[in-house]
Amino acid sequence: MTPPPPAVSVADMIRPVPTPPDSQANQDILAVMGRPTLPYWLLLGFLVAFVHAAGAVWVYQVYEGLGIAGYSHPIFWGVYIVTFVFWVGIAHAGTLISAILYLFRSKWRNAINRSAEAMTVFAVLTAAQFLGIHVGRIWKSYFILPYPNQRGLWVNFKSPLVWDTFAITTYATISIVFFYVGLLPDLAIARDRSTGWRKLLYTALALGWHGTGRQWKAWNRSVLHLSGLATPLVLSVHSVVSWDFAMSIVPGWHATIFAPYFVAGAIFSGFAMVLTVMIPVRRIFGLEAYITNYHFENMARFILLTSLIVGYSYSIEYFIAWYSGVEPEQTSFWYRAFGPYWISTWIMIICNAVVPQVFWFPKARTHIPTIFVVSTLVNVGMWFERYVIIISGLSREYDPAVWGLYTPHAAELTILAGSFCFFAMFFVAFIKIFPVIAIAEVKELVIHERAHGQGGAH
Amino acid sequence: MPLLVGVFDAPGNVVGSIERLRNRGYDEVEVYCPAPFPEIDDALIEKPSRVRLFTLVGGLAGLFTGFLMTIWMANDWQLVVGGKPFTSIPPYVVIGFELTILFGGLMTLLGLLVFGGLPHGRFGVPDPGYSARFSAEEFGVTVRCKERDVAEVDALLRANSAKEVTLVEP
Repeated sequence: MTPPPPAVSVADMIRPVPTPPDSQANQDILAVMGRPTLPYWLLLGFLVAFVHAAGAVWVYQVYEGLGIAGYSHPIFWGVYIVTFVFWVGIAHAGTLISAILYLFRSKWRNAINRSAEAMTVFAVLTAAQFLGIHVGRIWKSYFILPYPNQRGLWVNFKSPLVWDTFAITTYATISIVFFYVGLLPDLAIARDRSTGWRKLLYTALALGWHGTGRQWKAWNRSVLHLSGLATPLVLSVHSVVSWDFAMSIVPGWHATIFAPYFVAGAIFSGFAMVLTVMIPVRRIFGLEAYITNYHFENMARFILLTSLIVGYSYSIEYFIAWYSGVEPEQTSFWYRAFGPYWISTWIMIICNAVVPQVFWFPKARTHIPTIFVVSTLVNVGMWFERYVIIISGLSREYDPAVWGLYTPHAAELTILAGSFCFFAMFFVAFIKIFPVIAIAEVKELVIHERAHGQGGAH
Repeated sequence: MPLLVGVFDAPGNVVGSIERLRNRGYDEVEVYCPAPFPEIDDALIEKPSRVRLFTLVGGLAGLFTGFLMTIWMANDWQLVVGGKPFTSIPPYVVIGFELTILFGGLMTLLGLLVFGGLPHGRFGVPDPGYSARFSAEEFGVTVRCKERDVAEVDALLRANSAKEVTLVEP
């Protein structure tokens, strides 16, 4: 312990607490929120414009009806449902990183949890759009909610579509709560260092956070409980989404492996999306000191693990189809690999089960360009996985007389592209409005290290 | 009454100061921490946070709402689906589960607001002892004491490695 400095007279002490230069973590991370550059405005402008273009296509679809989509008998679940499942899947990394890795006390999550949580929120918002887009008659979409009405009718709670509504609503709400609670201390940091409209915004959102003992006590406990609640929620949401398919009797869908298969796929695609987005963000904003190659390597390991689970699920699906002895099931899987949708199937198998195997090699999972390429391919592969399951399943059901084919139309592809712009628009705006890394949690590590370095804290 | 603020670098010293101040009978002690350090909160407030009660009550309320709502609604307008009984527990488990999480999570948020004392203070007006340093990397310990105790509190904070001690309110 250092000896106390010489006593100061009480009169000398009467002054506000002096302010020394700000901490490095605050400066570096808040710098990301600095004045946007021209390329930033151009990118944001492009995204907003494209979202409006896709919105216009959607309005046209509402006017014309779902006929402008490529639906043809017997395939009435198309790109919209595929994209819905895709975005719900993307939403899984954030809560996994925040909740499950929090419970496992994996401190490396601190550098990436904020951006992953933000991606979760935006991906769920994007996914939710597709429920409205898919039903076509958007003005009747509230029929899915159990609300009192003059007909005395209630929704059918035995339907997985109703379960899905509850699961997605809960997931969206809890993700937003989780995101906001984690953001509270950082909003206070930003509040103390901003002026103008930002000061007003952060003051309002920070709720007068001072980091007092009482506040942190309640915060620690709340984060623990939210993690405890969110962990089973992450696993349940994609299980429920998978039951949208597995509860039916369509060959290729009616499988008990669907829930764990979908959950692994969701975590797989979620991590891939976090990597695809964070690799350029780290580069552009110079966050190498906070998001290190170690973080990317850990995420690459997650991708490898979940790729193995996904690859195993693919093979088990085929095995069970053969082993069941059920002819429609066997036929469906035969057509899946060698029928009209063979390209999609092989894209899915190669991108999801084969390509990520390069991460067995330490050189590959520490080489950033390789990670970027693999994670992008995984995103492509995971979109095609849902495409294969949904479209090829519906196209080859029991009776060959009603087999059919489906090709996405331009309207659907525009709205699909619009969904990526919708997601990116929120994320690009988020980067400039909220701290992209959880500063308080990074500081927890910095202060611990400093205390141990000096050897005086414990 | 005078308000003193001690500035610290290490969480261990903050814990030591709180314990000594408490032992000397100073009750109006507050800390400002830049990051979560459970040892500091535990030194300041010994009892576990009651947020857990809120989570429990919310979760149970969600569970009961989920099951009661589905069972009641299915029996209020009886419609046979797939030849299954109106009160089919397995499908309703999904709704019960989701609402457990939803209500539990929302009540946890409410618990954070109630037990964390949020919103805190007047809009845009920081506490008198608060400084932007305490949202950087330093810790603040504020003590409200009688005038005659100022010198003792000052010495006590410095003895626990306070970098600076200031009297923000005489």
